[in-house]
Amino acid sequence: MTEGKTKIVAFLCNWCSYGAADLAGVSRLQYPSDTRVIRIPCTGRMSPEFILSAFKEGADGVWVSG
Amino acid sequence: MGNLLEHIGIEKDRLHFSWISSAEATKFVKVAKEVTESVKALGPNNRLVKKLG
Amino acid sequence: MDSLTDKIRTLCTGLLKDGKVDMIVGFKKGTIPMSSCPCVARTPEQAKELIWDSNCTLNLANYLTNRKEKIGVVAKGCDSRNIVNHIIENKVTRENLYIIGVPCDGMVDKRKIRALFNDDITLFSEENNKLFVETASEKKELDKQDFLKNNCTTCIHRNPVIYDELAADPVEEQKIENRFADVIKIENMSSDDKWNYFNDLIKDCIRCYACRNACPLCYCPTCFVDESNPQWVGKGQDINDVRTFHLLRAYHCAGRCTDCGACEEACPMDIHVRAFTRKLVKDSCEIFDWEPGLDPNKRPALDTFNPDDPDGFIK
Repeated sequence: MTEGKTKIVAFLCNWCSYGAADLAGVSRLQYPSDTRVIRIPCTGRMSPEFILSAFKEGADGVWVSG
Repeated sequence: MGNLLEHIGIEKDRLHFSWISSAEATKFVKVAKEVTESVKALGPNNRLVKKLG
Repeated sequence: MDSLTDKIRTLCTGLLKDGKVDMIVGFKKGTIPMSSCPCVARTPEQAKELIWDSNCTLNLANYLTNRKEKIGVVAKGCDSRNIVNHIIENKVTRENLYIIGVPCDGMVDKRKIRALFNDDITLFSEENNKLFVETASEKKELDKQDFLKNNCTTCIHRNPVIYDELAADPVEEQKIENRFADVIKIENMSSDDKWNYFNDLIKDCIRCYACRNACPLCYCPTCFVDESNPQWVGKGQDINDVRTFHLLRAYHCAGRCTDCGACEEACPMDIHVRAFTRKLVKDSCEIFDWEPGLDPNKRPALDTFNPDDPDGFIK
């Protein structure tokens, strides 16, 4: 964590949460900017390797959303 | 995954799962806030991080 | 035990002579006392080398993966469960197997016995649950029950779940009050204590991957540790890489691990690697009411979706 900023890696499903994030943006809804979004083709693409890699590279939190 | 990570001593609130449909922008915002807050509350993560050099 | 050895030899010689199987996978005597070594017998003469004793700790299902021959395999309780796993995962077909089931009353833990003596063990024999161990300077008679492997003490499937023939009468299954006492002990620790406990556990790991190689579940053509693009795990001795390896190895066995203890048996550094997989065994038991390798016709817990699956962790 640098400069008091939290780093959260968000794995979002292209069809669900990624769409929701897009819609939130289009609707100009405000939400915290600590998340770094990684788009995955489907939540089925998710694997434990991703989560551990994210933590290994210094993430403070991981959020998986389908 | 969450259970095993917790088992080895990673705080439970560092890993979140959610289910949001593409029409639920408000839920997305709500969950994003929750996730950020709970991770912030835990402070920086020192475990599992690979230190370089 | 000698009668078991005789019985297995007779059965296997018969099978090979009649041409019912192309080969037998079993154990032969190891090169040092108190050891055994997996072996393949293709002729009746070779089948005479087969043995069975309390040191046949490795899991023979490991040697069946992707084989196309007709194979006779000597299987104790946990081996048979891993054979069921193999059948479910299409690694071997039931028709190609002739399973000689061996009811097992536990294997002995070499480490516990070695710890009793100052010098190398020169002779090991057993009879009626008594172990006779000799070194150059000492001689001891031990109770087998006190020196069982840790996973054998909590085993509730000693009899093979699938077999064509049994080499002995089924043994009585153990009734265990609290199978997961060791896991619960760790669960009750604080976050910091857990962290330190596991760090301490893996600090001796030399990343030889013997645990992976001994495990019948680990048959991927390219293991995640060997993948270089993307590289999930660094190659060095960095504690984070070691931990990642153990975590992922355990996680790949989730809902499949039969707690046979082959990983621990193979570990040259005496690391309690089952500490990782045990938690997942407990979880699959509690969350999905699932114990792997009991029924070849049931799909594993992580392979099926059920609307009633617990989803409390999802927001």
